[in-house]
Amino acid sequence: MPTLRELQTGFGAAVLGDDESVAAALVRGDGLSASARLGVYRHHIFMSLTAALESTYPVVARLVDPRFFRYAAHEYIRDNPPAGPCLFEYGATLPEFLERFEPSRHLAYLPDVARLEWAMNVALNAPEATPIDPDALRSQGAVALHPSVTLLTSPWPVDALWRANQPNAPEPAVDLQAGDVRLRVWRVGDEVVFRALSTAGFAFHDTLARTHHLADAADAALSADPAADLAELLREMLDAEVLV
Amino acid sequence: MDPSARLTGPGASGIGLRSPHLAEVLATRPAIGWLEVHAENYMGGGPAIRGLEAIRRDYPVSIHGVGLSLGTAGGLSAAHLERLAALVDRIQPMLVSEHLSWSVTGGVYLNHLLPLPYTEEALGVMCAHVARVQDRLGRRLLVENPSSYARFEHSPIPEAEFLNEVALRSGCGLLCDVNNVYVSCRNLGGNPAEYLERVDPAAVGEIHLAGHAVNEADGLPILIDDHGSRVTEAVWRLYARGLARFGPVPTLVEWDTDIPPLAVLLEEAATAGAMLQDAGENRAHAA
Repeated sequence: MPTLRELQTGFGAAVLGDDESVAAALVRGDGLSASARLGVYRHHIFMSLTAALESTYPVVARLVDPRFFRYAAHEYIRDNPPAGPCLFEYGATLPEFLERFEPSRHLAYLPDVARLEWAMNVALNAPEATPIDPDALRSQGAVALHPSVTLLTSPWPVDALWRANQPNAPEPAVDLQAGDVRLRVWRVGDEVVFRALSTAGFAFHDTLARTHHLADAADAALSADPAADLAELLREMLDAEVLV
Repeated sequence: MDPSARLTGPGASGIGLRSPHLAEVLATRPAIGWLEVHAENYMGGGPAIRGLEAIRRDYPVSIHGVGLSLGTAGGLSAAHLERLAALVDRIQPMLVSEHLSWSVTGGVYLNHLLPLPYTEEALGVMCAHVARVQDRLGRRLLVENPSSYARFEHSPIPEAEFLNEVALRSGCGLLCDVNNVYVSCRNLGGNPAEYLERVDPAAVGEIHLAGHAVNEADGLPILIDDHGSRVTEAVWRLYARGLARFGPVPTLVEWDTDIPPLAVLLEEAATAGAMLQDAGENRAHAA
């Protein structure tokens, strides 16, 4: 008779992979075979996790055939099962998986679209933080970006690809050669949004995120573009409530 | 009695609140006794938890965990228990419940309420974990019977007795999911009415109802607890038996697959609410 730990290890191998050797011997067959009974559990696990990935990555799912998405999700789930029970936290490594996934390699922009969707998911579920009071900015020692903020760069126009693949979007007409994008993804109230940043704007955000010092961020922005309008940059960030 | 008074308060029937209905519930404030949510959907920040806090201002809320994996041999996740405790602290729910099942093995979360062998070893694991959760939350937990598609060769304790023993040893209550009783008995052989007769009525603090699907596996019918349709006639009849035995226990209707308009869910809850009310009156007459 196996211990509970042995039984659970065997059951896990049967439902996550295909190794039923331990579990099938422990499950009573009566009527339906042990293998068919394990199959009910396996089916639910893969279907529910696929649904979770599809809800986090709707545009990726739309860009590939639905059957292809289910196939890719199955491969991903088998090798990268969740480590915890909060499914809104599951799927962080799908972009890297897609980069290595041979059957969709021809869609070179797919991993970056996935990165944008993951950043949007992070923004949706990020903790609350009180935006900085503009009047207190001078006396503020350290300044951080709101926890919902992700900064993203891509050689592909992932913002346009995302917009063109919304449920009510007009016929997609995206110029894939449009060039690099630098995006800030964040949450405003209950809504997740993103905005394209200039090279100076991106340098400002990126440096601030790392050093928490406005002076460092200003230096980085001016190095990227000596003509950058720092006052305007800061005003936009205060209006967008991304400084905390 | 004022008919609108039928469906209010924690003694009435409730519905499982799922994200597609959140905005409508907030906007229309339907006459429903209480609402139950899955704990793991509200462990982040943002609109989900803010919406739940807004709901909580107007309704009693029950928190139903699906991720603690109380039956895992390797021990509970302390981090997950802390997140549950923070949510319970924030929402101050009327009830907190979890499952007689396991989901975690070797650090992997399998996203299913998996079956336990009903052995002394598993009983010890369950009781220790329930005790730890109750200590951390500072309140009584309700433990729900799972719907099962398999049982183990070595599982000598009948499920109802196993649950009674968990309740007796740990001091927890039981959440009797009547649909799960029906599904498990049909899938594994067993009489649902006899199952209910074995459950300790004093331990039952909540009842769940939901629909199930009938699928085929290897050419044989198997009932799937998909929460994707109305409660079946057989499960309503079993619920009536449960009420006669357990008394008018707070009852919840769940719907998770092919989620219908809110009105359909409210109709199902109203049916349960009317039965609950009858059960309460019968009990008052008998006393």
